[in-house]
Amino acid sequence: MAPKSLQEVLDAAGNTVDLLRNSQLGTYIYPVVPAEFTNWRREQRAWRETAVLYDQSHHMVNFFVKGPDALKLLSDTGINSFANFPVNTAKQFVPTASNGGVIGDGILFHLEEQEFVYVGRAPAANWLQFHAETGGYDVECTYDDRSPSRPYGEAVTRKYFRFQIQGPSAWQIIEKLNGRTLEQVKFFHMGHLTIAGEQVRTLRHGMAGAPGLEIWGPYSQHGKIRDAVLQAGAEFGIEPCGSRAYSSNTLESGWIPSPLPAIYSGDAERAYREWLPATSYEAVNALAGSFVSTNIDDYYLTPWELGYGSFVKFDHDFIGRDALQQIDPATQRKKVTLAWNDEDLARIWASFLDRDTPGYQFFDIPNANYGSSNYDSVVDAGGTGVGLSLFTGVTANERRGLSLATVDPNVELGTEVRVIWGEPDGGSRKTTVEPHEQISVRAVVSPAPYAVTARTEYHGGWRTAAAGAR
Amino acid sequence: MTDLFLSGPGAEELLHGLAVNSFANFHVDRAKQFIAVNPSGQLVGDAILARLDEQSFNLVGHPMAIDWVQYHAESGELDVDVSRDGNSIVRAGDPRLFRYELQGPTALAIVEKLTGAPVPQLGFFHMGRFPIAGMQVRAIRHGMAGQPGYELFGPWAEGGRVRDALLLAGEEFGLTQVGAKGYSTANLESGWVPSPVPAIFKDERLRAYREWLPASAAGSLGGSFDSEDIEDYFLTPYDLGYGRSVAFDHDFVGRDALEILSRSPSRRKVTLVWNPDDVQDVMGSILRPGLPAKYIELPKARYALFQVDRVLQDGRTVGQSFDCGYIANEHSFVSLAAVDGLEDGAEVTVLWGEEPNSAKLQVEPHRQVPIRATVAPAPFVQYARESYRATH
Repeated sequence: MAPKSLQEVLDAAGNTVDLLRNSQLGTYIYPVVPAEFTNWRREQRAWRETAVLYDQSHHMVNFFVKGPDALKLLSDTGINSFANFPVNTAKQFVPTASNGGVIGDGILFHLEEQEFVYVGRAPAANWLQFHAETGGYDVECTYDDRSPSRPYGEAVTRKYFRFQIQGPSAWQIIEKLNGRTLEQVKFFHMGHLTIAGEQVRTLRHGMAGAPGLEIWGPYSQHGKIRDAVLQAGAEFGIEPCGSRAYSSNTLESGWIPSPLPAIYSGDAERAYREWLPATSYEAVNALAGSFVSTNIDDYYLTPWELGYGSFVKFDHDFIGRDALQQIDPATQRKKVTLAWNDEDLARIWASFLDRDTPGYQFFDIPNANYGSSNYDSVVDAGGTGVGLSLFTGVTANERRGLSLATVDPNVELGTEVRVIWGEPDGGSRKTTVEPHEQISVRAVVSPAPYAVTARTEYHGGWRTAAAGAR
Repeated sequence: MTDLFLSGPGAEELLHGLAVNSFANFHVDRAKQFIAVNPSGQLVGDAILARLDEQSFNLVGHPMAIDWVQYHAESGELDVDVSRDGNSIVRAGDPRLFRYELQGPTALAIVEKLTGAPVPQLGFFHMGRFPIAGMQVRAIRHGMAGQPGYELFGPWAEGGRVRDALLLAGEEFGLTQVGAKGYSTANLESGWVPSPVPAIFKDERLRAYREWLPASAAGSLGGSFDSEDIEDYFLTPYDLGYGRSVAFDHDFVGRDALEILSRSPSRRKVTLVWNPDDVQDVMGSILRPGLPAKYIELPKARYALFQVDRVLQDGRTVGQSFDCGYIANEHSFVSLAAVDGLEDGAEVTVLWGEEPNSAKLQVEPHRQVPIRATVAPAPFVQYARESYRATH
């Protein structure tokens, strides 16, 4: 009989790592939004030089929760403090499993009294829904799933449109839309704005120090709001950003979107695995990269390893608290950006034209990831593992290959390490993988976010390191 | 693709009068590559023409040839009805027909499994009907790289069921669905140049046609070839290897000019195999300081509807390079080109990138670079398997 739950899928598969590494899901798709409106290089440059309109309406789950116990549900599952979380503020919500491993993260909006929405990848939404349904909470939930990956011409609709206006000229465009100056409320505080006669809700956001806004409203207004923003922004050089460039913006901002949810092992999460359907993200997602351990636990990441250490607040009880209290933050890996060696990356591309060898794993640009979660080994000069590289691509603004990684606490900025690109033994059976060889790519450990400081402070370090490697 | 449906007592005469092709054996259930030229014998476009019934035809392809036929149908005196079904960029609602292409070494076996019978021996571009999932699906015998394959079409409403049946039957034969990216490179292996610049922009005799065409028919021109005179972009059927399709057994637009052209030398359609080191330098240039070379997109690097790059030998222009991209089966980056009398193995240079950079949205600031390339036959794949690998 076909498995019905994640637990049954795992029981049938035997080894969880083998199952996920050989997933037939294909690449992780950012659906519906056109891949490119102009070209991805131009769209990347626009967020650095002028302004962009990101269309986030389709690739994330909206999970709505309201009722007397809504805040309790969130507080019981989030590492974050909820001591000061008034209406019209938002926070980056991070739940952990009982083992202290991160499940996922996303933006949590406090919409009204006793009413919240989580916006992000599926794992954290699934986790919230499970606890809402099984934990005896007095809440009402609505799961508004992401858009289909391959709509194939069928009409697609969501509850909300969701845009961001970002870039150095973003605030000028926002004020033009508003018809007058607009108070730059604090980061992650919410407000309202009138665009084309419609009142939209706003979240104060920003990129690389420049203020921006996330805006949302009923999906039926999607086209009207989009047209108005692009029209107002034209004189400031705004560009609509396609899905192809969109997914690479995180290389510059430093957010790691794709940890593997830490829910595949241990008795404490068994009930959750029995609840999750066999078609869920957790059951079908693809695990990619050179890091291979037979033990799925080795893929779990703690909040510190993803840069969320400052969110961990023991001012409340939450799932994972006991495990996190056992951890000494000083021993934890830290989030960094790895700046890839130009020549080594060019060698990967050149291998596609090499008719005598299998070549290297395909490196698509600007987003090179070939699974839902990507784990490449980071090794030191002696070949010892010192970290994991978790999200990889190219940015036209830096003219570099970059990856977001977590490395041992003693690995200093400026150190040259190696990222192993490609999978061992010729590669897994994933549909995104052809037979290939692995390549050791030189990379320099750099800060995350990369864009803000690396250009000024670490440029020299990079040059020295690159020259020294020759 | 765009579909044009033609019917009526005058349909054959209309098509015949616009086609360089012979209609001598063009019976019902036959198809052909329809090629149209202007009065000077210069290429307007090509498309696949299928004879569905005695007085019923379907022309399918890029709009260039289809616009030309539709214009002559609407402005001429012949008794013909035309009905156009635009491609999904311009059409509202569902298309009229589904259209699949079943290709590859196991295509025959899949059809035999589906129909439960040996496949009828159809000649190339002959048509038949296959019973699939309880429906009668029309098929055009087609083929890629010497392998038999079929183009399958029918009412749009039946498309989903046909597709499901194909995928189910094909599973054991390794049938793989091809996405838009992979699809766009199939012609690089088979050697078909998809969108030559239509020779319609200059001739005073075509003014009325240009007035009839919508502004959107202008298309976009990209690449390093940079003449002020649009006529320098026009091609004859001989330049693209269509000489054997030209038949002087009937009267057609451009016949007189082609009779003269047929006796003079033309360019030759070839594959250019781009130098791997030079391609690597272009791709790597996005990681180096300074202005990069024009970005090479994989697998298809063409960045305009009409891609025309200059081909040089010893500093002299010796041809034009058109569609370009990557063939994973051969680990080669290639382009299709028309060159002046060059032998296979000749070394040339393709100029890559625009100087000055055009204002097209898909063109980012870049510098023009030379890329070395080797002349090879078109289609490339057969040649590559049999001889190219052995010698390089």
